[in-house]
Amino acid sequence: MSDAARYSAPRPWSALILRVLLWFVLIVFAIWFLLPAYVVVGTSLKDLDEIRGGSLLALPHELNFSAWRHAWSEACIGVECTGLKPYFWNSVSMALPGVVVSTLLGALTGYALTKWKFKGANLVFALILFGCFVPFQVVILPMAQTLGKIGITNTVYGLILVHSVYGLAFTTLFFRNYYVTIPDELVRAATIDGAGFFTIFHRIILPLSPPIIVVSVIWQFTQIWNDFLFGASFTTGGAQPITVAMNNLVNTTTGVKQYNVDMAAALITAAPTLLVYIFAGRYFVRGLTAGSVKG
Amino acid sequence: MASLTIKNAVKRYGNVEVLKGVSIDLRDGEFLVLLGASGCGKSTLLNMIAGLEDLTEGEIMIGDRVVNDVHPKDRDIAMVFQSYALYPTMTVGQNIAFGLEMRGVPKAERALRVEQVAKTLRMDHLLDRKPAQLSGGQRQRVAMGRALVRDPEVFLFDEPLSNLDAKLRLEMRTEIKRLHKRLNATMVYVTHDQIEALTLADRIAILKDGEVQQLASPAEIYEHPANMFVAGLVGSPPMNFLDITVEAGEAGPAAWVTLRADGADKPVLLDLSAHTARLDGYVGRKVVMGLRPEMISQGTTDAGQCVQCEIDVTEATGADTLCVLNWNNQEVLARGTSGYTKILEGTMDFTIETERACLFDPESGLRLD
Repeated sequence: MSDAARYSAPRPWSALILRVLLWFVLIVFAIWFLLPAYVVVGTSLKDLDEIRGGSLLALPHELNFSAWRHAWSEACIGVECTGLKPYFWNSVSMALPGVVVSTLLGALTGYALTKWKFKGANLVFALILFGCFVPFQVVILPMAQTLGKIGITNTVYGLILVHSVYGLAFTTLFFRNYYVTIPDELVRAATIDGAGFFTIFHRIILPLSPPIIVVSVIWQFTQIWNDFLFGASFTTGGAQPITVAMNNLVNTTTGVKQYNVDMAAALITAAPTLLVYIFAGRYFVRGLTAGSVKG
Repeated sequence: MASLTIKNAVKRYGNVEVLKGVSIDLRDGEFLVLLGASGCGKSTLLNMIAGLEDLTEGEIMIGDRVVNDVHPKDRDIAMVFQSYALYPTMTVGQNIAFGLEMRGVPKAERALRVEQVAKTLRMDHLLDRKPAQLSGGQRQRVAMGRALVRDPEVFLFDEPLSNLDAKLRLEMRTEIKRLHKRLNATMVYVTHDQIEALTLADRIAILKDGEVQQLASPAEIYEHPANMFVAGLVGSPPMNFLDITVEAGEAGPAAWVTLRADGADKPVLLDLSAHTARLDGYVGRKVVMGLRPEMISQGTTDAGQCVQCEIDVTEATGADTLCVLNWNNQEVLARGTSGYTKILEGTMDFTIETERACLFDPESGLRLD
């Protein structure tokens, strides 16, 4: 059958049925995945009476943000009733430097490993890559000792260091694979033009890097923000990141279990990474597949 | 401007010897072309002159300064790369000015020099564009501009025209030639294109397996190739090689050659008396005779020996018509007429200029002198 005939012919019934079936399956799965999110959001907007009285799936009667307010600034975490606010800022002040440091270092190592190849560069890369596969749990003890020696246990700085070091494996991988596609002749030309290692890096290589920087930033931000294990292991009390604080908030219960507050706390904790994905997600995919130099 | 001296340059990667002791002497303002197939070491040699690769042994001098341990930026050289290597995020103007900026030239002077170079290369209207917005020829021009603006002692070109289409390549070739004439600068140019080499060079160095096969002027290389490799590489269409056995003729050495496909005809005795001295001691032995297509021309003239050959196929290129002859099951290219002046078919007269033929030793491949 020619294309023209195929497209102009009326659809047979079987095709229509298949189409309906397809939509049905897609909608069922969409509901399946969206339902928990709906329950979390819905519950966070109800008050306790409503939660007790109504069904789990019922819409809230009104948009009641008191649980959010409570989770943000009043809820008790352990014995401190400060809400998540201070811990949110802990996480921000841990994640931002952690992202910046690991991304910059990753770019620099990736650049050195591809454009200034030294003997054994590939072996060094393989060893760094190995870091991607080392489970978090393995490094906890030696890392705790290291932090103790340096004297930054139980501080945000300690977590920044841990995440920078741990993230380096991934960021190096990203940047190294991206820089491999940049022609070496660019570096040679710049060398003859009189530029050195760092000048070439920041004048020629970095300006070519935004796509992969976006990838690295999203990846690192998600990793660091969502981390629980390092936060729980290396900090206590006031220095904890929000993930640990949220856990403690949920576990600190006096009397009635405040589901609405728990849900709101979970949403506050997850919000930054969600936002990053919503606004930069498409650059993530684009950056992973982008080549560096056109033409 | 400066002379360039390469003394016994050797490059080894582990056990692999890429350059086996290359020595070349360039006088100030000379245009040298390094010609060879890929993997012959010509680009390695160029990179060594540029300082992008170290020498294993030997010495490179620019002017009277040994530059072995001098950083590329201090060698006072400029290089044009095959891929142009333009900085993608900078405008054309910034690309050209980058080298000056790195050398701390004040901004005002930079702008002035960029403008001058842009005018010379007729691209002053492109200065604000990014490389991605340029055509291949324009990018090539920017790459040249980047080299020109620095006004270096030595220009290095690494196959700069091989990414261009045929017409543009011709244009840029002329441009480079004009540039050399105007600047009178020392230039080293790497290519695998023998026409580029012949048209551009003052001298050509032909490399094979890391060794210089011949270093001479284009005319010398064309007329008196040092060996069969050089003879086969240079010239388009390529030289014909015939295995002959030298006989003692009446007037001097001669050789029987069969000029028909089937060999049924009586062979013709080619007179090689012009090569008497050269063939001294070769009587009775095999040698290889190299005849360029233009040494076998259609028609009877008194420039050489006249023979009758059967034309197998003709190839008209417009300016010239080539005849493919079949001599004893070997294809031989001959020059027919210029233009389309005459129909060429069947058996016709050809004149072989045996006097200009090149003779090679079949074992060593060296030309007999």
